[in-house]
Amino acid sequence: MRNADKVNILMVDDQPSKLLSYEVILRELGENLIQATSGKEALEHLLRQEIAVVLMDVSMPDIDGFELAEMIRQHPRFQKTAIIFISGVHLSDVDRIKGYQRGAVDYISVPVVPELLRAKVSVFAELHRKTRQLERLNQELEFRVAERSEELRERAELLELASEAIVVRDLEGAVKFWNSGAEALYGWSREEILGRKLHDVLKTRFPAPFLEIQAALATTGTWSGNLVQTTRWGGEIVVACRKSMSPQRQAVLEINRDITAQLRAEEALRRSEKLAAMGRVAGIVAHEINNPLEAITNTFYLLRDHPSLNDEARTLARMGEQELARVCHITRQTLSFYRESQHPMPVSITDLLDDVLDLQSRSLELNAIQLEKHYRSDAKVEGFPVELKQVFLNLIANAVQAMPTGGRLRVKVCASRANGRPPGALVSITDNGVGIPPHLVKHLFEPFFTTKSTKGTGLGLWISKGIIQKYEGSLRCRSVAVSGGKATCFSVFIPGAAEPTSARRKMTPLPEVPELATVARRSVGSA
Amino acid sequence: MVQRKPIILCVDDEANPLLLRKLVLEKLGFIVVTAASAAEALKIFNSIKIDLILSDQLMPGVTGTQLARQVKALCPGFPVVIVSGVNQAPADCEDADLFISKLEGPAAVSEKIYSLLGITPGQA
Repeated sequence: MRNADKVNILMVDDQPSKLLSYEVILRELGENLIQATSGKEALEHLLRQEIAVVLMDVSMPDIDGFELAEMIRQHPRFQKTAIIFISGVHLSDVDRIKGYQRGAVDYISVPVVPELLRAKVSVFAELHRKTRQLERLNQELEFRVAERSEELRERAELLELASEAIVVRDLEGAVKFWNSGAEALYGWSREEILGRKLHDVLKTRFPAPFLEIQAALATTGTWSGNLVQTTRWGGEIVVACRKSMSPQRQAVLEINRDITAQLRAEEALRRSEKLAAMGRVAGIVAHEINNPLEAITNTFYLLRDHPSLNDEARTLARMGEQELARVCHITRQTLSFYRESQHPMPVSITDLLDDVLDLQSRSLELNAIQLEKHYRSDAKVEGFPVELKQVFLNLIANAVQAMPTGGRLRVKVCASRANGRPPGALVSITDNGVGIPPHLVKHLFEPFFTTKSTKGTGLGLWISKGIIQKYEGSLRCRSVAVSGGKATCFSVFIPGAAEPTSARRKMTPLPEVPELATVARRSVGSA
Repeated sequence: MVQRKPIILCVDDEANPLLLRKLVLEKLGFIVVTAASAAEALKIFNSIKIDLILSDQLMPGVTGTQLARQVKALCPGFPVVIVSGVNQAPADCEDADLFISKLEGPAAVSEKIYSLLGITPGQA
């Protein structure tokens, strides 16, 4: 037996010889045997150490066995200590009952039968040992429970700290748990949403039929996918959602991460990659096409007045030259020079518009278009003149093309401070041409959308919008029926007009993007 | 004031475009000498008196703008015009006086050259 497992047995008798004989009898139990020759000494031992069994003589001087037992029992620590009385005289039942009342657990009569004494003490020693082990286990268990509770509390705190929305709902969809991440993401507080139907409140749109999702949850216990949901403020967000069925199949855990901004950034990246790729293609095409085009143009230039040609040949050469001019025109428009400084510079929007209108003056004249200029601000912005010119050339050329039978072109510039926007220049270009049907307006800024069939590339407005967005501005279109016709207005807002040096500093020109398509789509009538 | 026809040194590594450009410029009232590379152009530049260099940009070896820099080093202020079919002006295009698209057409090119020389076609 290990020392730690040994229990203490206290033997109390006023006669040392009896103590000696008990010691001899009990030695083979292998426990710790402690002797006391008086009740007082016994109490001292009891106070000093833990005692499993007290073996005591009933009749002792000073404090007798019954008194000692009573004193022991009154102390809370010793209420479970086994007390065995040894009595030299025959005990009446009344004495025995008195003993039991005082807390004795057993009696042994003299003459002591060694086997009997050993067996009884052994039973109580063993009982004490087991009780002690049990108490130890109990303590350990309590400690573990405490530890685990602490762990759970920490986890609960982590759930609260998580920036992800963590939601538990029952199988009917009612919200059971709603962490602060969910409060922040959706705007609904815990008190407001607990018990309500999760996907009704959030107007969730699932990427797959709901039954399929339920089936997946039922069979595999998990499902993940992107959901479109609506916040309390009415904004739509996209969340990456992981659903898990609880082990008891009573609830579903949903962990939702807001990926709206990430998706937007990815989309912007895809768009700029597309632009850059088109720029590279344009560069290659430009080089391979422009060189022979120049040679052919020069050939026709030399040919057209050549003295050896008869009238018919000369007419044919002229026709060839005219068609060639068309090819050159479209090539220049779409793949033309891109000569741009690396740093933004102050640009006067009105000067820029005048340049563009100069370029278009012949078209305006030919199409009998009346020009109205309203410059109410000289609107200086920091930027790149070439790309801004591209935007306005595109919008004005579109407007001209929308008025094949004449009309009015109004170009208006004013300083804008409206609607809580930063100060900036607001340019509107309005024509009273053929108009754009409402169902097409929303597609205007999509790439490759054109109403001009083969004549337009469908990129002009898309690129223009991209350029304006780079300035953190906006490009919008409205086309309405007015008395006696239609009015189509493209308005461009470019921020930064009041403080030309701020905010624009980080901007760099679009890399490798040529002036793709100043010939634009639109003008429904010519399609 | 140039009293005679202006003399242009036309540089291009491609024979056909070079010949055609020469014929067009002659028709427009210039005297044209040609070179098939920047090296040849520099030799001519050092041996006869010319009024202007009109060079292609992308040529094997020395490019048009590099040629412009070498010419400016020899004779600062000497007019050099670059024609190019590519979209993007090279980073060193500051060395040239003009950067013209090949698609601008004969009329625009001659107009720009005359204006750079500070004369009008009638004076030639």
